[in-house]
Amino acid sequence: MSAATSRPRWWFLITPRWLAWHAFAVLAAWGMLWLGDWQFHRAEGGNALSWAYTFEWPVFTIFGVVFWAKTIVDEWRTPGGAAGGARAQTTRLPQPAGEAPLPAAAHTPATSDAFDDTEDPELAAYNAYLAGLSAGQQRGRFDGGPAGADPAS
Amino acid sequence: MRSTDVTRLAVRAYRLMAYVTGTMLVLLVFVCVPLRYLGHDAGPAEVVGAAHGVLYIIYLVVAFAMTRLVRMRTASIGTIIVLLAGLLPVLTFVVERWVSRTYIAPALAAGGPAASEQPVLR
Repeated sequence: MSAATSRPRWWFLITPRWLAWHAFAVLAAWGMLWLGDWQFHRAEGGNALSWAYTFEWPVFTIFGVVFWAKTIVDEWRTPGGAAGGARAQTTRLPQPAGEAPLPAAAHTPATSDAFDDTEDPELAAYNAYLAGLSAGQQRGRFDGGPAGADPAS
Repeated sequence: MRSTDVTRLAVRAYRLMAYVTGTMLVLLVFVCVPLRYLGHDAGPAEVVGAAHGVLYIIYLVVAFAMTRLVRMRTASIGTIIVLLAGLLPVLTFVVERWVSRTYIAPALAAGGPAASEQPVLR
């Protein structure tokens, strides 16, 4: 299996590009907390409007952290998408024969995002079976899938 | 609740917040700020400024949820433009049109009746 010779999946996290992003995320979070602290001191000094900003900046900080985490999850699930560009192609696993890679925009529903059948031949066979079923339905009849690949449920 | 229903709900919430936040920002920048510096009345700018601040937080959460549901990538230019649109006057209206055409309409079309027949566990 070719996946065994490739680097671990989390490897992209320590590439220079991603390290720069981590540094930026930490700096941005620190900066926003600093701004919140500054507004807190202004609020204590009698600026009523600063109370609103005192609470806003921590909320922006939390949002920034969530955004950063989601970016990592995105890259984890679909390596080399819009964020990674051509660079991340090295981490992409080979597609099963005869199956074209999907563009990011045509991604499958969120509930099934966490799975990747390229690592599991059984799962790939099952998906090929489903694709065959779907194609059969479109022609108006069932011609079944590969023998032994019948889904129990 | 089907996933397309959730997407529709998120899109509706995003549109509402885009218009409310956008209107508030236009009011702030084109009415209240001139009042403050030309008319020397800081009152409206403070009230509308604080209101826009709170609305923008809600806009951020709602808009981000929408971008996830229509499968825009997190660190893409599109998502960042959508999130920052709430800070630039008039931009929310333009961006809302653009996102509807480019991402929301295709996502809702793809999530239609054919969705249940797509292969699972990809």
